[in-house]
Amino acid sequence: MADKEANIYIVDVGASTAECRNGRMESDLEYGMKYVWEKIGLALQANRKGLGLGVIALRHDETKNDLDSGEGYENIAVLKDLGQIEMSHLKDLQKKFVSSSTDYGDAMSAMILAVHMIENFTRLKTGKLGKFKRKIVLVTDGQGIMDDNDLKSLAEKVNELEIELIVVGIDFDDLEYGFKEEDKPSNKRSNEKVLQELVESCKNGTFATMAEVLESLAEPVVKVTRPYCNYRGKLSLGDYNKYPDTAAYIDVERYFKTHQARPPGASSFVNKTSVSNGEASGQDTEMTDAPDLSAVKSGIRYQISDPSAPGGKQDVNREELSKAYYYGSTAVPISASEENVTKLETNQSFEIIGFIPNDKYERYLNMGECNITVAQSVNDKAKMALSSLIHALHELDSYAVARIVTKDGKGPQLLVMAPSIENEVEALLDVPLPFAEDVRIYSFPPLDRVITTSGAIMKKHRNLPNDDLVKSMSDYVDSMDLSGFGRDENGEPTEYMTIEETYAPGLHRINQAIRTRAVQPDKPVEEPPEILVKWSHPPPELVKKAAPKLQKLVEAADVKKVADKVRGKRTRDQIKPLSGLDVNSLLNSQKPRAARKITMENSIPDFKQLLEATVSSSEIHDLVTQMAKIIYKMVANTAIGGSFDMVTENMRVLRSQMMDLEMPEIYNGFIRDFKQKLVAGELFENEFASNKRELWFRVVKSKRLGLIDTEVSEHSDISKEEAAQFYVLSTELPSRAK
Amino acid sequence: MAEGNESWKNKDDQEEDEEDVDETAYTTQKDAVLFAIDVSESMLAPPPPSDSKKPETDSPTAAAIRCAYQIMQQRIISHPKDMMGVLLFGTEKSRFEEEEDSNKGNISYPHCYLLTDLNVPSAADVKALKAIVEDWDEAQSLLKPSEQPVDMPNVLFCANQIFTRGAPDFGSRRLFIITDKDDPHATNKALRSSATVRAKDLYDLGVTIELFPISHPNHKFDRTKFYDDIIYRDPADDGGDLATAPRDIKSSGGDGINLLSDLISDINSKQFTKRSLFSNMKFEIGPEFHISVKGYNLLQQAKPAKQDWIYQGGETNQIVKPESARLNDDRAEPVEKDEIKKAYKFGGTQILFTSEDQEKLRSFGKPGIRIIGFKPQSMLPFWASVKKSTFIYPSEESFVGSSRVFSALWQKLIKDKIMGLAWFIARQNSSPIIVAILPSEERLSETTGLQLNPAGLWLYPLPFIDDLREAPDQPTPVLSPANLTDEMRTVIQQLQLPKGIYDPSKYPNPSLQWHYKILQAMALEEEIRETPEDKTVPKYRQVEKRAGEYIHNWGQILEEATNAYRKERSSGVKHERGDSEGPSKKRVKTEGLGNVSAAELKQMITSEKLAKHTVAELKDLSAAKGLGTSGRKPDLIARIEQWADEN
Repeated sequence: MADKEANIYIVDVGASTAECRNGRMESDLEYGMKYVWEKIGLALQANRKGLGLGVIALRHDETKNDLDSGEGYENIAVLKDLGQIEMSHLKDLQKKFVSSSTDYGDAMSAMILAVHMIENFTRLKTGKLGKFKRKIVLVTDGQGIMDDNDLKSLAEKVNELEIELIVVGIDFDDLEYGFKEEDKPSNKRSNEKVLQELVESCKNGTFATMAEVLESLAEPVVKVTRPYCNYRGKLSLGDYNKYPDTAAYIDVERYFKTHQARPPGASSFVNKTSVSNGEASGQDTEMTDAPDLSAVKSGIRYQISDPSAPGGKQDVNREELSKAYYYGSTAVPISASEENVTKLETNQSFEIIGFIPNDKYERYLNMGECNITVAQSVNDKAKMALSSLIHALHELDSYAVARIVTKDGKGPQLLVMAPSIENEVEALLDVPLPFAEDVRIYSFPPLDRVITTSGAIMKKHRNLPNDDLVKSMSDYVDSMDLSGFGRDENGEPTEYMTIEETYAPGLHRINQAIRTRAVQPDKPVEEPPEILVKWSHPPPELVKKAAPKLQKLVEAADVKKVADKVRGKRTRDQIKPLSGLDVNSLLNSQKPRAARKITMENSIPDFKQLLEATVSSSEIHDLVTQMAKIIYKMVANTAIGGSFDMVTENMRVLRSQMMDLEMPEIYNGFIRDFKQKLVAGELFENEFASNKRELWFRVVKSKRLGLIDTEVSEHSDISKEEAAQFYVLSTELPSRAK
Repeated sequence: MAEGNESWKNKDDQEEDEEDVDETAYTTQKDAVLFAIDVSESMLAPPPPSDSKKPETDSPTAAAIRCAYQIMQQRIISHPKDMMGVLLFGTEKSRFEEEEDSNKGNISYPHCYLLTDLNVPSAADVKALKAIVEDWDEAQSLLKPSEQPVDMPNVLFCANQIFTRGAPDFGSRRLFIITDKDDPHATNKALRSSATVRAKDLYDLGVTIELFPISHPNHKFDRTKFYDDIIYRDPADDGGDLATAPRDIKSSGGDGINLLSDLISDINSKQFTKRSLFSNMKFEIGPEFHISVKGYNLLQQAKPAKQDWIYQGGETNQIVKPESARLNDDRAEPVEKDEIKKAYKFGGTQILFTSEDQEKLRSFGKPGIRIIGFKPQSMLPFWASVKKSTFIYPSEESFVGSSRVFSALWQKLIKDKIMGLAWFIARQNSSPIIVAILPSEERLSETTGLQLNPAGLWLYPLPFIDDLREAPDQPTPVLSPANLTDEMRTVIQQLQLPKGIYDPSKYPNPSLQWHYKILQAMALEEEIRETPEDKTVPKYRQVEKRAGEYIHNWGQILEEATNAYRKERSSGVKHERGDSEGPSKKRVKTEGLGNVSAAELKQMITSEKLAKHTVAELKDLSAAKGLGTSGRKPDLIARIEQWADEN
């Protein structure tokens, strides 16, 4: 895959390409260049030194090539010599690709020139051909004048050098693809014929019409990576050191079978704050097209709390620190010399623990990527040994469970291994298994019965499907079967949506966007291409077919959407202990409501309970005022460097209760006052500026306890922008509140 | 106070990629558990004599404290950020908190003894519990029951205050009551109703009560007498634990049941709050037909906590939280998040996207699960595995009737061994993936009756074509002769795992266990005597005993068959390289660079050893890491260093 390449693109820029034809809004040149730019973009993205790319313009106004002394090479210009392509070349090429004012220039000569260039580029000093992939692509509208005398010798040379020749014609006829241009000019007709003949006399030639090629461009290019061997050693059964006669091992190699492809990483930049500043800065970042940007770096500060320092904090250097692990809340310092003390010593090994029937393994326990294990090559004994294990597992419908340590010192991993016999390749496939600590035991009610408080089991319940629903679900599922919905080349039913047909949407979208932006910097970001969202919906034909079954299912299910308003708003009277005891009335009978006040130590329950019992809005206002007082007091009581968690929680409850009551303005009033008091310095007795900021940013901003805006509550009259602005703390101005 | 900053970032359940979080996630999803253990005559009574092999000696109270001790150690490993506390009630002694604040007055709750304050447990807390557990005689004065009858309102309010102060903004707060008294206020009506009011306070505070009732041989615990009046279940929780049957009950006594292990398994099943990964997720069964589901992370790779920095220069050791700030390069000033533009390397330059562009590029629509169709489960290839699965369970949150529809789908998938296929967007702006929807059946423990595996559906991520890797070419297979395969079959049949299943609970992660064992020993200043216990190592003696003979036979047959095969081959036309050499001798080869790990690489880079390798070796390494192999030595090194940096 990392083969070296020599690719030349010959683009016909003759005067005839300036026209827009066949109902297109773009000129033939622009139309053809779509393909070329995409290919150049892919080459740029690959960013490989060994990927040589050259560009020749045909029917160009100028003549500029190595063979220009010879006859017939006029109006052919080499725009880029063979070699790695870089962004600067692209910028250069973009300027040069304009339709010319000439019709002269022979495509045959251009191809001979390209062959010549490739030969020079790929022939080694010894005279032998280097190991290269060679390719010539001709993009033309077929309207030029061509001399077909050299056709035969050209084809011979192309074959000799093992060059792949691709001719892409604008509006060329392609019966297989299903395109035929009406009223084709006669010279184009004959040119097409000549080019077709050329391609057919090449061993590796392709002849295509532009429309088809552009269509196929949407198919993302999948990056192929070399096989990566992550383990090479013994796969053992039993302890072969201790029991040499009754234990066994097989020499194997283990490779990735699946490995998640990641989108490219991005680095961060911001607009330069001052360009006038004379210092040369940010030189290490090559921002050729955006010199007014500077890189974002992350600076890390280490602070310790020191009551004597201003703000209660002091910076320390990293050198003064040592590493530590937490055991619960206790930090255990680890000196540099004992750095590996907590590491389990392990030796590279791959051992079978035991076997299980394959129907006893639950697929959802898989913890990650699949690997493939094969016998070491040129080791017949190992191959035969592994083969016996694979066949035995296969015949017994069993899996092996194994433990692997890929390198000395690495943590052991458990695997489940399955036999695989495919196209004569025998292998074991494995996926990682969870350890005891990786499984969380949460219990969930069963789905086929309902257990009541008293422990009684019910088979009929509103949360359980009735027979009608079970039947219509079954029918619907059957009608949406994909196992034979696809069609192969012969039109026979086959699996729909195989893994080989699915492209990672996130990955390809960003890659494509980068290419597009490189070529057309001003073009806005587009919607994802069709092929990436192809599987986002069930196939329409199937949906249509299954519609009656779905209709039945919908009726049997009788699902009702919960109105937005009801949701979130608690219907308080539902809340009762298991016994159903009415605690509220008990509460109210104990002490008259009016006499009850919110207490500091039990503020949240008091507030909620009193709020439940209130009827008038003046009472609510009164309760909020009480709550506000308590919150202010809590703030004042917080020690320097202490935790504001209690403050946070009380504010959070206050905010959510006001949202539930659909009275966001009451909370908004409170938080405005709060901010005003904070800014005015009324909240703390001995205040440090840092404490104030801390309270605002750690509590109000990071926990999102600011103004309630219309997005969150429709009863609010605060816009999203105003709410966002509210988080800004400017110490100069008293506050936005009146 | 760095806590506050950390807390909302602490999304250990979520993916590492930084994505928009919805508003509710700002409340800490951390858990605080307070054990309230009853100390009374009956709770302190030793178990009646038993003829079982391992007779029980712990009283219920002792078993409960022992249980708390074990759970505490366990939680330090599994949930290092969560809090835990232990409160004894009914004791003669009282203790609430160290009297530090004189102006608050000396608050105390009579006959409530706060053994371990609600906090992330420290080494000292573990030590204190350990001391009690290892020497009950010493703890006698502590475990002395009060003469006074228990006062539940007082106990509940004490717990209320512990939670209010200790864990005010924790997303999950639970009170575990361990007692054998099913009707503490049978005769005192006022106290009884006062307790129900205090319980309501706890509910309003957001504290859930879990009861672990203890029955005695002559007295069965009856929840309806008192506890059903003080225990609440959130109606939004769709039945929650309630619907998984109120479990009775750990009986104390000679019927062979071990109270401690019973208590531990029961508490274990409840000790982690269900933290949902997402809730109110739209599940589109068909066009225009939706239900709502919640998602849970039931599988999560546990790793040792990261290292921290510590400052040892002061009077006490101080943890230092590095605060990172984004600074611009030219003036080293902090920058705001929305000012930042992203750039990708491309053809030797950077291609820029604004944050709006970025957002648009990431957006493929709203979060949701949309069924594309169904296939038989057999169409899921074994190798189609990239990531752990997510468990989903119906919720009536947005669509009433979700549960029954979900159940009908689940039943169908189980019955016909079918899987769903769906387009899944987990969060706003996260990349869509294609998942198989696999059903799981409920599995209960045979011994305790507790749920091991819930019934539900799993979203099983499928690889894309981009995630597939090619294995190296395999020239000429060498097939196993039938007699060799037969012998291996016997070996496999002899070495079945217990019950023919892989049971994760039998295999703790040895690296993780060892890490914490050492850490614990260092923290408690104990000596490390043991060698690591590793349950993942095969049981060699059993292998030897059960299959040794057959493995031996297999080895013999293999030897003969290989010789026969070689003879056949060498008499043939071609003689292939390597054949005649003994297979096991062949593997001595100089260690190339191809297998070096990222960590080793980093070390090589810092010690500047990389340059000492030959270009060929560096190329091997580059190839193995999937990097380009072109260019001169400095290019290769630069590329490798960059790779190591990113990995």
